[in-house]
Amino acid sequence: MSIRTNEQWLADLRSPGPAQEAALADLREVVLKGLPYALSPWLSADDPRFQSLAEEVVQETLVRVLDHLDTFQGRSQFTTWVHKIAVRVALTELRRKRWENLSLEALAEDEMAAPPVRLMADPASGPESVVEGEDLLERLRRIIAEELTAKQRQAIIATAIKGMPLEEVARRMNTNRNALYKLMHDTRLRLKRRLAQEGLTPDEIIAIFEER
Amino acid sequence: MQIYHFFRRLFNRGETSRAKNGGLPPEALAALIKQLEHTQEVELSCDEVLALLDQFAEAHVRGEDAARLLPLVQHHLDMCADCREEFEALLRILQMAQD
Repeated sequence: MSIRTNEQWLADLRSPGPAQEAALADLREVVLKGLPYALSPWLSADDPRFQSLAEEVVQETLVRVLDHLDTFQGRSQFTTWVHKIAVRVALTELRRKRWENLSLEALAEDEMAAPPVRLMADPASGPESVVEGEDLLERLRRIIAEELTAKQRQAIIATAIKGMPLEEVARRMNTNRNALYKLMHDTRLRLKRRLAQEGLTPDEIIAIFEER
Repeated sequence: MQIYHFFRRLFNRGETSRAKNGGLPPEALAALIKQLEHTQEVELSCDEVLALLDQFAEAHVRGEDAARLLPLVQHHLDMCADCREEFEALLRILQMAQD
């Protein structure tokens, strides 16, 4: 496989014909070479499912590369940019398959796992700190109940506790991951401001609980 | 994490109804408070980070302080597990190519 500069990749991919075909064939090999490393935490290259997934990913990646060629800004190696697209395609597909039959509601209603066993007992809390903690907790509960919708609470449970990928949560909320991240960011800012209005900051809350 | 255990002790005092806990179990509440601690006014979205991920990953592989060069990207990766997974996957590919 010949080594191309960024400019050569772009030129070849933009000219339909033998040059483009050769470039696509080479790009295919580039993507296939990287995928085992990208997917290694979740799927071994020896796994029988790997080949068909890799083939799907390569096809989709090459389509996206051609569609978005004009967005490549030359701030990295062209092949890095292509690998990035392949990674997004591959991980999206892996996540979709892994979380296929799980709804947000089912995850939220699932019994919480037992807390991890600690080697040392927690230091005993005095009664005053518990009362202060309870007042604080009541206020937190009230604020959260007022500021978060039921769906947003489910999303937090799914991502923070159950490890559901954000894009899978987004799919179930009929939105996309980008929009959901922005929504949750707005929510977090609103919560933070609301806490500040009540005279609290997150690190104060954490400090109150952790010093007891 | 003590904050988690404190919430759990308080929750176990009788009010276990999900609705009464602001609808969040103690682990989720603790995780949310921690997230709030790191929430910034300006945060990049997933698409904005994806657009910069190739540059960021290459800088990282070159041994540059990518977090200092693109702090908003680093912050998003700290906050977003999906994007962090994709960054680490891309890193594995680039590091393979280097070897």
